[in-house]
Amino acid sequence: MSAGPYNYSYIFKYIIIGDMGVGKSCLLHQFTEKKFMADCPHTIGVEFGTRIIEVSGQKIKLQIWDTAGQERFRAVTRSYYRGAAGALMVYDITRRSTYNHLSSWLTDTRNLTNPSTVIFLIGNKCDLEGQRDVTYEEASKFAEENGLMFVEASAKTGDNVEEAFLETAKKIYQSIQDGRLDLNAAESGVQHKPSQPGGRPGSAAGGDQSGRDNCAC
Amino acid sequence: MADILSETVLPEDLKKFEKIYHEQLYKNDVTPKAQFEYAWCLVRSKYPADIQKGIILLEELYKTHEEGQRDYLYYLAIGSARLKEYSKAMNYVRSFLTIEPGNQQVLSLQQTIKKKMEKEGLVGMAMAGGVVLAVGAIVGVGMAIANKAK
Repeated sequence: MSAGPYNYSYIFKYIIIGDMGVGKSCLLHQFTEKKFMADCPHTIGVEFGTRIIEVSGQKIKLQIWDTAGQERFRAVTRSYYRGAAGALMVYDITRRSTYNHLSSWLTDTRNLTNPSTVIFLIGNKCDLEGQRDVTYEEASKFAEENGLMFVEASAKTGDNVEEAFLETAKKIYQSIQDGRLDLNAAESGVQHKPSQPGGRPGSAAGGDQSGRDNCAC
Repeated sequence: MADILSETVLPEDLKKFEKIYHEQLYKNDVTPKAQFEYAWCLVRSKYPADIQKGIILLEELYKTHEEGQRDYLYYLAIGSARLKEYSKAMNYVRSFLTIEPGNQQVLSLQQTIKKKMEKEGLVGMAMAGGVVLAVGAIVGVGMAIANKAK
């Protein structure tokens, strides 16, 4: 906190999308608070969370917009897609209908974000193996065909939750390094904080500070 | 630059939902959906007059459309907080929490509002600190003059 006005060098904007009840808010909560919300009511409109992570020695602040899955919010939540650097698209492995709707979520995402937006598919609730309704292979094939990253995760046990958020950030960071993502574009979903002279080389990877609504900007 | 109380609606989005609402209003047949979508955009405007208008539309919905009451209460709290009407905002949060005590989203909003209040409280204290410094400077100058006069 003592390193000047910002203790991170980049801000990445994420959105979390998918049908209602697939566990979007629980994934966010597990990622920011490292806790499972057992009794999670339907999200109203959008919810917001942040966490600072580290990729290649650079501190990155993730600003995550978690959208409500209920249809009546969909028209307005679409406006939060704009300028997202990462999109986590979630379905529930125990409910086939949530998987069947992925193509519609994907169409929305492609139409409303930019070509460099990283889309990560998450099959949530993988702890409920006995109730599985979508095989890993099938979803994996869908992801491959559509150029998406993919894991099965569990917001309940925490399995693969970190991985999904961190791998998305790594991919975005890679795009910046490769020059595929234009930092000056208004809708890149990435902000650079040049006042910070880069990450400290000595600091260990994986360090993080978490917090919901912990906004220093 | 973002959190739930500072992010703003894009003008084209506001216009889009305003148009739908006004078309329905013209036909005297406004659906709760259109009114809510328009109000949701209004309370995220950077102009206080828009936020005020959004609050009026939400209050009306709250009284007439029971089904969406938790949504209206939540955005009434956000709208009021954005207008810096914090005690009103906190009242909306409290009435929400009496119905759903453990709701994380609303507890998180409560925290955000509290933080914003504290931040603005600190601004007040910083100004008070400035006054102390100024008084100190005057006293210092006075003493310097007194010393010279000796």
